[in-house]
Amino acid sequence: MKKSIAASALGALALVCAGTAWAQNKVTLGIVTSLSGQMAAPGVFQMNGFRLAEEELNSGGGISVGGRKYPVELKVYDTRANPSEGASAMQRLATVDKVPIVLGELSSGVAAAIAPIAQDYSVPFILTVPTGPNLTEENNPYVFRVNANNLQLNRALSDFLAKQGWSPIAFIAWNNDAGRGGVNGMRELLPAAKNGYVGYFNVGEVDFSSHISNIRNSKTQAVMLFMDEEPGSLAIKQIRDAGLKVHLIGTLAMGSDRFLKRLDAQKLDGMVQYNAFPPNASAPRIKAFSQRYKAKFGEEAHGFAAQSYDGLMVAAEAMQKAGTVTDGKAIREALTKIEHQGVIGTIKFDRKGQAHPAVYVTQWCSNGTRRIIYPESAKGACGTG
Amino acid sequence: MDALLEQIINGLMMGSIYVLVALGMVLIYGVMQVVNFAHGVLFTVGGYLAYFFYTRLFPSYPLAVLLSMGSLGIIGFALERGVFRPLAGNLRNQVIASLGLILAIENLVVAIWGPNALQFRVSATDVLVPVGELRFSVQHLAIIGITLAMVAALGVFLKYTRFGTAIRATSQSREAAMVVGIPVERVHWSSFAIGTALAALGGALIGPLFLVFPQMGDAPLVKGLAAILLGGMGSVPGAVAGGMILGVVESVSTLFLPTDYRDSIAFVVMVAILLVRPQGLFGRRMRGED
Repeated sequence: MKKSIAASALGALALVCAGTAWAQNKVTLGIVTSLSGQMAAPGVFQMNGFRLAEEELNSGGGISVGGRKYPVELKVYDTRANPSEGASAMQRLATVDKVPIVLGELSSGVAAAIAPIAQDYSVPFILTVPTGPNLTEENNPYVFRVNANNLQLNRALSDFLAKQGWSPIAFIAWNNDAGRGGVNGMRELLPAAKNGYVGYFNVGEVDFSSHISNIRNSKTQAVMLFMDEEPGSLAIKQIRDAGLKVHLIGTLAMGSDRFLKRLDAQKLDGMVQYNAFPPNASAPRIKAFSQRYKAKFGEEAHGFAAQSYDGLMVAAEAMQKAGTVTDGKAIREALTKIEHQGVIGTIKFDRKGQAHPAVYVTQWCSNGTRRIIYPESAKGACGTG
Repeated sequence: MDALLEQIINGLMMGSIYVLVALGMVLIYGVMQVVNFAHGVLFTVGGYLAYFFYTRLFPSYPLAVLLSMGSLGIIGFALERGVFRPLAGNLRNQVIASLGLILAIENLVVAIWGPNALQFRVSATDVLVPVGELRFSVQHLAIIGITLAMVAALGVFLKYTRFGTAIRATSQSREAAMVVGIPVERVHWSSFAIGTALAALGGALIGPLFLVFPQMGDAPLVKGLAAILLGGMGSVPGAVAGGMILGVVESVSTLFLPTDYRDSIAFVVMVAILLVRPQGLFGRRMRGED
């Protein structure tokens, strides 16, 4: 009896030792995302991107730093699109989990709450989805953004729209920062948008009939929808059902197969939207990623996944270049100099920590596929978008 | 001109939804003197149940609507028996209980169907009817028609049937009704069941046109309450007129004012009318009130 107790104690000790030895051999990266709440659906794409990158890094043994390989482990916190949840998650990641770098987030509001804490603890924070332009305008040296922000997206779209000559252009937009900011941004960039009708709607509103009457009244040629999938599908259905003869202009959320499932090809035909990642583009880096993604998750690759995948790969490369898996300051230094060939293009951060990936405009074809129509260099036939 | 016609038809459609909510609340208020704040979430449940019956059991939309109304009738009966009757005589507790029901039911809905909006596809929303230059879905016009038919049926029921008369008698004076042998308890639960079934009808009709989501009953509840106040507390014709006026005024207002003012316009109109007629359009001034 005594013997067996001693033996099991020894066994337990051995296990503990093994545990710590193993723990020192890997690197834990912090992830903030939405697993529940209103951003849970896009949160899945973000996590898929991180998981794919984690798997691929680990299949090669991990990140090699100083001649050693460190397998990657992700410590994931659910911020539920809530700024205070985000702040407390960041606090925990910096003080309890002691991660060298944090990635992710979907909502710009939550990211804004996280950024100052990242700076306080000298933990680099790589954004992979939020588009609020101000996030990289705060002179916070620890904030980096892989994806294009709203200004960059709007600039590409307005460049495209200016060539179409549609005027006036009307807007239906969320009655919040994203919607009002988007409308104001476009109106500044695009003269044709200045005299168009602008209608705002509150979250949860589902009836767009009054906007439609006003748009018909104002003889508008094109309508831009600043909203996400859910109201977007309702607005498009109601606009098409009402028989408005207008060009439709959408956002990132409206250029995916998922979105097509909510409507049908006939209603979407001809609609254009800006897009950070056309999953069917012919560029080899995009093609390869889309195939790996589809093999693992069984669905069309999503821009949020590609951006997050690239974010984690950038973090890995920065740690490799900095020669450390613990020193946040050194990793930050390495990030400022990085030039990473990612899925979404070359990722190189400017002085503000903002990367400048390609932005596309895609258009729906009558058969339910999409094609790239902007920039000129990436133009393709139906099925490339 | 087209825009005005379009907004009037849109307004009548939304107004119809407000009427269905308001009618149920008026019936319940009339016999029990309690404002059921949980009426909005029952509207939501009506939408979800119709969705459930249609997608999981019988692919017939009219049948799904009827089944949803029937189920909500039973739920209304259970709520009257289980929640409101034990608290009878204590208005404050009944109001608090109805507020509690909002939390309980809304979270139950989220637990069963999840927090995301569901698409409820019915062919009536895809068939379009041209009206001059404009086009409306069949569902759009059906909502107005069904509501008017419902209002007429309820009117006939209340006016010409024995039980309808009993409901009216109970709402005028509970004691007098008991004295002449009216089964007051039966009147209570059946009014509650009819009221909740009407809310279910509203939810089941609007669901396919837009989306089915946990907060879909919030706006109809507030607008329904406003319709009742506008029409005169406790008046059935008042609830109908109030709901329709509210729907049309807020729709037409968007032609002249930014759409984000739509909700406030409805309430400005309500306040203006109540300033002139504090008892509402169809309300009667009670002795002892001023």
